[in-house]
Amino acid sequence: MTGLKDYYALLGVPRTASLDQLRRAYREAALRLHPDRNVQPGETELFLEIGRAYEILSEPERRADYDRQLAELDKQAAKGASLVCNVVHSRKALLPLDEPQVHYLLLDILPAENAVFVRPPVNVSIVIDRSTSMRGQRLDQVRSATLAILKDLQPGDAASVIAFSDRAEVIVSHEYAHDLTTARSRLSMIQAGGGTEIGQGLETGLTELQKTFLAEGVNHLILLTDGRTYGDEELCLQIADRASAKGITLNGVGIGADWSDRLLDDIASRSGGNVLFLDSPKAITNLLQRIFDSLGRVFASRVRLEGAFGDQVDLRSSFRLLPEPMPMGDTLPMNLGNLPRDGRIRILLEIVIHPASALSSVNLADFVLAADVLGHATMAQTLPVSISLPVSKHPDPEPAPSDIVAALSQIALYSMQEKARHEAELGQSTQAARRLENLATQLLAVNERDLAKAALGEAERLTHSRRLSTEGEKVLKYGTRALLLLPAKSGSS
Amino acid sequence: MIECPTCKHQEFVGTMYCSECGTRLTLAHSAPTVSIPRDEIRAESQVTRPTVPEGPELESGAVIGLRVVSTGDVLPLIGRDNYTLGRTIEGQAVVPDIDLGPYEGYEQGVSRMHAEVRLDPEAVSIVDLESANGTLVNGKRSDPLTPVVLRHGDVIQIGRLRLQLISRSPG
Repeated sequence: MTGLKDYYALLGVPRTASLDQLRRAYREAALRLHPDRNVQPGETELFLEIGRAYEILSEPERRADYDRQLAELDKQAAKGASLVCNVVHSRKALLPLDEPQVHYLLLDILPAENAVFVRPPVNVSIVIDRSTSMRGQRLDQVRSATLAILKDLQPGDAASVIAFSDRAEVIVSHEYAHDLTTARSRLSMIQAGGGTEIGQGLETGLTELQKTFLAEGVNHLILLTDGRTYGDEELCLQIADRASAKGITLNGVGIGADWSDRLLDDIASRSGGNVLFLDSPKAITNLLQRIFDSLGRVFASRVRLEGAFGDQVDLRSSFRLLPEPMPMGDTLPMNLGNLPRDGRIRILLEIVIHPASALSSVNLADFVLAADVLGHATMAQTLPVSISLPVSKHPDPEPAPSDIVAALSQIALYSMQEKARHEAELGQSTQAARRLENLATQLLAVNERDLAKAALGEAERLTHSRRLSTEGEKVLKYGTRALLLLPAKSGSS
Repeated sequence: MIECPTCKHQEFVGTMYCSECGTRLTLAHSAPTVSIPRDEIRAESQVTRPTVPEGPELESGAVIGLRVVSTGDVLPLIGRDNYTLGRTIEGQAVVPDIDLGPYEGYEQGVSRMHAEVRLDPEAVSIVDLESANGTLVNGKRSDPLTPVVLRHGDVIQIGRLRLQLISRSPG
């Protein structure tokens, strides 16, 4: 049966949902999407669809019939899928407790063995901050890095270059992207000056990308900035959401110490993109090249984790470890970004399981993994992933899988840095300094001398000036985040 | 709930790292301090007191330091007014200021938080932090949590590991 929709995912409930849960989910969604209230185009259609979903699922007989069809569809989907999802648990069984317990899930998403790879066409927009602070070396480096990318364009690729300060203009439109002479002279016209309004740059970049949108390719925006945007944060996030809905991913590159890392993280994570920190503009050519190369190796774009967690299960935190480390939100659906053909997307979910009365097994989640597999004919793929875990009185004697242990130990370092920064902002500088010293010791234990030194330096700064340096904040944040890419090191003595 | 052994933070069952201090929770009890019979420690502390090194080693800037008797390494005690001695294991959050792990701390019966050296303007002292194998000063077992004043050349025994206090001031 084709055209069968997953009504459970639509309502955001597990497949085992009770009638009561269905009713609640339906009412909540219906209120939000009602034609009198909804705001975005397409929501009225969605409203009608959840009505149909509820109609079918609320009648036991029709639901049973629908469940049978859905199971059949799942089986077919799994057979023909070009994606694979492997799940690793932190323990083999839950304990029968009348208190909440924590469990970790490591999800590996990778191309199926028999999948066919082609280089997808790339549609990229490079959005450059040309505010006063970019003057000199920064802008020079960005110019030559951008030109290097244009040189690398393949026939069929599309590109545009946008410069912005408090307004944005198209420097190289897609018509001239393959014409290097024109592109070079246009790039040399970018002059530094003015403020930073990231929203302006994003908006124009998005418009340009849509002109050459490639349904069968990768559509990507790279934002290069060295400053804080003023007053248009909300607009930036809206644009990021719009881009994400259209299947466009966003990368942020922050140069120097004074850009807003939190905003860039937020913008990028909404589309499944990531943020890179450059303390010196020299590395920018390499970095842009790396980003561009990775776009040509995308196997599937818009990889999303949809569906729902089980009844008594809450998501506490989630972290994408691969291909680029990034903290993720605590709600579904989750945008995971692009899946490289020679790699994997790996995420770690920390969930809390609330007491379940005398169950022999707990349904943790009914995920649906969705992605656009790129190729001659781009296919929207879905892969159902149901996860459950037995409950046993005997604690699991085996140690947790080493991949989970390694990931958690590195996330712990990242979290310490986040906590210290939070404390410093609250004025608890003594506590923050102690935490940073502690972090430094742990960093030394894994032989990260430079990061440890940075942590100690910031701890000292805290005791003197009661605040962190904007550069130190970023060194620690992106430094500890990048540790997740390294194989685990043993620091025991 | 389970309690983090390091910072006493409460966590849900199954949590693998303390969210407060980053201690690896499942490992917390799996690496106990090696227990060494008391007689053995006493016997070893009876050996002759090593001679105090003079000359260049002291001139190298270590105004106050601890010399590891077995290797001759000097661990400087400069810049702070107290140092904790112990050994570090992977994932441990509250770590000692001076890690004796590289000096076979584990085999020598050093606890993870074994003792603290205090550098007050008037005196240098050592406090045993209720370690498993105790702290001896010049062969004499010190009481847990009670400071013992140290002088230049005194030999401190952390479990079985012998350290000698080097102080430029005559003490």
